[in-house]
Amino acid sequence: MIFVLLALSVLIFYLTRGLLPPTTALAAYITPRMDDSAKLSVARALGVATTSCPSYSAFVSLQGGCVVPLWGQYVGWLENALAGNWGLTLLPGISGTDTTWHVFFSRFPYTAELAIAGAFLTIIIGIPLGIVSATHNNKLPDHISRMVSLGGYSIPQFWFGAVLQILFVLYIRVNGSGLLSANSTVATRCVICFSGVVPGEIARYSGIPLLDGILSLNFPYFWDSVVALILPALTLAITSIGAISRIVRSSMMEVLRQDYITLARSKGLKENVVIYRHALRNAILPAVTVSGLLVAYLLGGAVIVEIVFSWPGVGNASLAAANVLDINFLELYVLVTAVIIVVTNLAVDVIYAKLDPRIRY
Amino acid sequence: MKASKPEESQSSDRYGGRADLKYALHLLRRNPIVLAGVTISVASVLLALLSPLIVNPTSWNQQPLNLRLCWNNPIVNWQIANVFNCGGSAVYPLGTDSYGRSLLQMIILAIPVDLEIAFEVVASAVVIGVFFGGLAGYKGGIVDEAILRVTDVFLAIPGILLAIVLIVVLGRSLPTLTIAVLTTWWPYYVRLMRSQVLSEKEKPYVERLRAMGAGDVRILYGHIVQNSIYPVLVQATLDIGSVILTVSALTFIGLTPSPLLPELGNLANQGIQYIFTAPWLILFPGLTILIISLGFNLLGDGIRDVFDPRLRR
Repeated sequence: MIFVLLALSVLIFYLTRGLLPPTTALAAYITPRMDDSAKLSVARALGVATTSCPSYSAFVSLQGGCVVPLWGQYVGWLENALAGNWGLTLLPGISGTDTTWHVFFSRFPYTAELAIAGAFLTIIIGIPLGIVSATHNNKLPDHISRMVSLGGYSIPQFWFGAVLQILFVLYIRVNGSGLLSANSTVATRCVICFSGVVPGEIARYSGIPLLDGILSLNFPYFWDSVVALILPALTLAITSIGAISRIVRSSMMEVLRQDYITLARSKGLKENVVIYRHALRNAILPAVTVSGLLVAYLLGGAVIVEIVFSWPGVGNASLAAANVLDINFLELYVLVTAVIIVVTNLAVDVIYAKLDPRIRY
Repeated sequence: MKASKPEESQSSDRYGGRADLKYALHLLRRNPIVLAGVTISVASVLLALLSPLIVNPTSWNQQPLNLRLCWNNPIVNWQIANVFNCGGSAVYPLGTDSYGRSLLQMIILAIPVDLEIAFEVVASAVVIGVFFGGLAGYKGGIVDEAILRVTDVFLAIPGILLAIVLIVVLGRSLPTLTIAVLTTWWPYYVRLMRSQVLSEKEKPYVERLRAMGAGDVRILYGHIVQNSIYPVLVQATLDIGSVILTVSALTFIGLTPSPLLPELGNLANQGIQYIFTAPWLILFPGLTILIISLGFNLLGDGIRDVFDPRLRR
């Protein structure tokens, strides 16, 4: 795991710093009004220029001994990062005085909420679809569920999100004005205010709107968060619903052909018991193994979905960060995501061993 | 060419060229969905090849701004107050875009762009996968370990972000787009090929080849790869749709060489700004992506049915 994280940070560092001339690392930090000595001190602060570099023009012309070699820059960055100093972020709209760490983790709960909701929808829609498809093989429910899964697999997410927006804004009206609470001030107060929360503002304990709504017993805010979450979560989940239901279908069909199912049926058990108690336990295993990939997929897909729905999460910000080559934000984003993916894969292995006693590591 | 004999008999025993074709035709007759997949993918490739003949290939650069965002298709009525009719005698079946170009023409010009990138990415990923995956599976040991660790690194990062950073750094152009998507795609093929080779290399014919004095390169790339490549090719067909989705998602979020470029994601990107005033701008490019990607997925499913003996009933 440490190896993967280190290699990833090297990869991102090399991509953002190693392929372009060293002045591009400064581009977002310097303004035309700065004089050369100010520019040089920025370059030194970023660890790009050496302390012995005489002038900014010497740095620009790549004079010998002026530019810190790439590995030196990386080591400097790594020392800072390990000490918890992730520097300032360059995201547009944020003045450049906010730390990367703070910006990232104030946005991260939104992405987490979206990804968890997407995973939840994937499981509660995808798995039943697969089961129905397998138990009604080659009948109408099977055809419908296969079309849904194939469609989900082939649909461009950004387009699905946009179509949902068009449908719900232009053509489908729920009680005239939509579902969000009409009085926006209702949603901004905290009913039970713990310490540190200003009365009249939304209580932020976790940063996750749904959770905060429950914790502060602010039900209008909770309701608004639910409504705002439905379409993005569905958009995010549509592809993985297709993938999961396909996997469950094929494994369920294989399991249903086995002898122990025939035995269970011949014992006179109800069909539902046979399917949900006996067959599902084994049929779900392949779906568990791909759930590690699923998390990676949801986090990646969140970038697109967040952009389409203007969701205030880290995926949306990472595009902005990539556009200005904000190395601090990109590194933090990539490393946090990688930790999540690696940890999920580990958890999947453990759960798999629990679910399937035949497997021993 | 004595050494190739066991491999030939192996492959004809298991897959049998003519029997395959027969079975494929039988599948097509029995299963209309696979037939639809074949039709859509063949039609989209044909359309892509013929598109410069159907539409003037330079028309994407013209901007008749007086015709922007108009709609004169009499069958579909959007019931949006501010949709205005294109005057004149020319017909724009799918309306015009924000530059005044016919959307239908732009979509026809865009299909070859997307398909070309998709084919390039998938073909390169297969080549890389066969080479490194074959090497890892066949050699084992430290080579295997090294190649696997590298794929680990690439699989632990959301591919789309890696692609975004690559495009920003390397500059926005179609070749960069291809390289960026390829960078996120190849590890899957290496893994797939490796697992195939791992199970194939234990078979008796490999030992026989070795006893006959065949070299490693010849055994691996001449025989083992030939016998274990089918799942990779099926995956490649399925992935053409996914690559089109990824490429169009990247251009949709603005990583495009030129805002004028007719490319399906780029056209949709133009459309999202007018999503509530001119919904056709995002609807039809997206629908085109959906249909093409659906076609290749159906085709891939069909090919898998042909090559996977376990599914034969």
